[in-house]
Amino acid sequence: MDIFDHLALGFGAALTLSNLGFCLIGALLGTLIGVLPGIGPIATIAMLLPLTFGMPPLAALIMLAGIYYGSQFGGSTTAILVNLPGESASVVTCIDGHRMARQGRAGAALSIAAIGSFVAGTAGTIVIAVFGPVLAAFSQRFNSPEYFSLMVLGLVSAVVLAHGSLLKAVTMIFVGLLLGMVGTDMTSGTGRYTFDIPELSDGLGFVPVALGLFGLSEIIVNLERPEARSLLAGKITGLWIRWRELTQSLPAVLRGTALGCAFGVLPGGGPTLSAFASYSLEKKLADDPARFGQGAIEGVAGPESANNAAAQTSFIPLLTLGIPSNAVMALMMGAMMIQGIAPGAQVMNQRPELFWGLIASMWVGNAMLLVINLPLVGLWATLLKTPYRLLFPCILIFSCIGVYSLNTSAFEVLLTAFFGVVGYVFAKLDCEPAPLLLGFVLGPLMETSLRRALLISRGDPMVFLERPISAVLLGLAALLLLIVVAPAVRRGRDTAFQE
Amino acid sequence: MRIRAPKDFYAGLLFIAIGALGAALALRYPFGSATRMGPGFLPTILSGITALLGLSILLRSFVIDGEAVTRVVWRPLVLITAAIVVFGLTVTRAGLVVAVMATAIVGGLAARDMGRVELVLLALGLAAFSAVVFVHGLGQPIGLWPF
Repeated sequence: MDIFDHLALGFGAALTLSNLGFCLIGALLGTLIGVLPGIGPIATIAMLLPLTFGMPPLAALIMLAGIYYGSQFGGSTTAILVNLPGESASVVTCIDGHRMARQGRAGAALSIAAIGSFVAGTAGTIVIAVFGPVLAAFSQRFNSPEYFSLMVLGLVSAVVLAHGSLLKAVTMIFVGLLLGMVGTDMTSGTGRYTFDIPELSDGLGFVPVALGLFGLSEIIVNLERPEARSLLAGKITGLWIRWRELTQSLPAVLRGTALGCAFGVLPGGGPTLSAFASYSLEKKLADDPARFGQGAIEGVAGPESANNAAAQTSFIPLLTLGIPSNAVMALMMGAMMIQGIAPGAQVMNQRPELFWGLIASMWVGNAMLLVINLPLVGLWATLLKTPYRLLFPCILIFSCIGVYSLNTSAFEVLLTAFFGVVGYVFAKLDCEPAPLLLGFVLGPLMETSLRRALLISRGDPMVFLERPISAVLLGLAALLLLIVVAPAVRRGRDTAFQE
Repeated sequence: MRIRAPKDFYAGLLFIAIGALGAALALRYPFGSATRMGPGFLPTILSGITALLGLSILLRSFVIDGEAVTRVVWRPLVLITAAIVVFGLTVTRAGLVVAVMATAIVGGLAARDMGRVELVLLALGLAAFSAVVFVHGLGQPIGLWPF
């Protein structure tokens, strides 16, 4: 089968009435939480994960994916209208997008964000369709040592590309790996860190961990400071974008898309980094860089395309190698496992309708967002006025119900409360929880492949260097670490994040 | 010696504590060898590395400058945590309706600008919504009432 047959199969699966419905629900829900500051895709997906239990696998994945890229879409609306990033990936959109809104060009900014996102979404879908099978075929040559090295590379690049302190991010990964050790040891049956609590014998559930660290701690942190929001209401006049603005921003859209597609595949890369990178790139390439920060449309078009493209392509490592590249993908992996699907290359071979259906749905979802969201901008702007004091009790309740209904376990609700406090402490100390979640999910997988690899090699660690693919992967990881520790790059990385 | 980066100082302490606790517990599990790893093998190593990294963050906090830890506001921290605990303790026996209302009211008090009438209405609304959507609509296996 070639790519067109695959896509035809995918669209056949995605275009059923119920799957279209789930796609729409996911995309709208994603936009909603993207618009609302204080709740992001990680918390939302964790909250809704239990509900997907009773759904068909494809419908569940379509909806959760919709939440993810929908939130990238919605985040830009808030950024432009209120100068408040609804999502971390829209931080850069605030700079020029909000300036444009204050100049009365909110409509143009919103339109170019939507158009750019759609172009990027389309390109992202094609990239997955073309490179997915190639990578999946390559991964057939992977064995335990290769998988272990791949995960090491993944974790290393997640740290390198994460923002904030490098040392703390590395430590958070190790804390995550350690949390992944909780539960019954597969080989010996010994309970590790279970404190004789029966609920812990299967390990920590990652819904309580993710929801506590990302959802609840966020609520506590938000409530610490008084609410300050200034909405630029009633100023959205005409969504039409001038032809000159369109031609002016087209190259930025294409460059942003390319950048996003590439960065999205990298572990730890994802939307936020792509948006930042695209903004710096546009600023460098501009004839008159001084326009940036004063309402340059390229400063909206580039990053918005980049973050959406990256949201798409970050599915590649999960779908082809079975390895999540960021915290959201870790949750998608959880969703697949709830459905009894082991993520990885075998999904493409054994359940092609699932793989291609998901990819086709992403394109459908992006098209829906383009058609539906622009007319709905007024509605989103109204929703933005919802005071946080009415919003957070809803998040709180839905989180509790979500966690409880997963296993009908009151213990997991208490566990969520515990990780909420832990997440609060981490937030106070500037420790990013995303690397921890990634380590937590990868921990058990890494232990298994490490054990197998060392069993085959009779305990000789050289096995990781003697096998060529594994050696290359580890070499890349070492190179990445070396580059970041080198002072010159370090300075560049710091300035990139400050911009 | 003066602490120049308080956030890093406390983060370092926290990581050392996590590592020490992890190692202390892991030493009770059989360690094994590289060929046949025991259940304590990786936990011991990971705990050790966590503690070492924590130590380096701690030491670094005496050398480089960093931000001070912002003040802890106890009201949201205590009330939001308490609200979830309330939900966990009540939902099985008292049912969803009671649990949601109790959780919403305890949690809602975390916001200073919350009105009393507003909060009660919100709690009632959330209880009704949860019962209808989650239990009736989505068929989640949760009892609604205490009996």
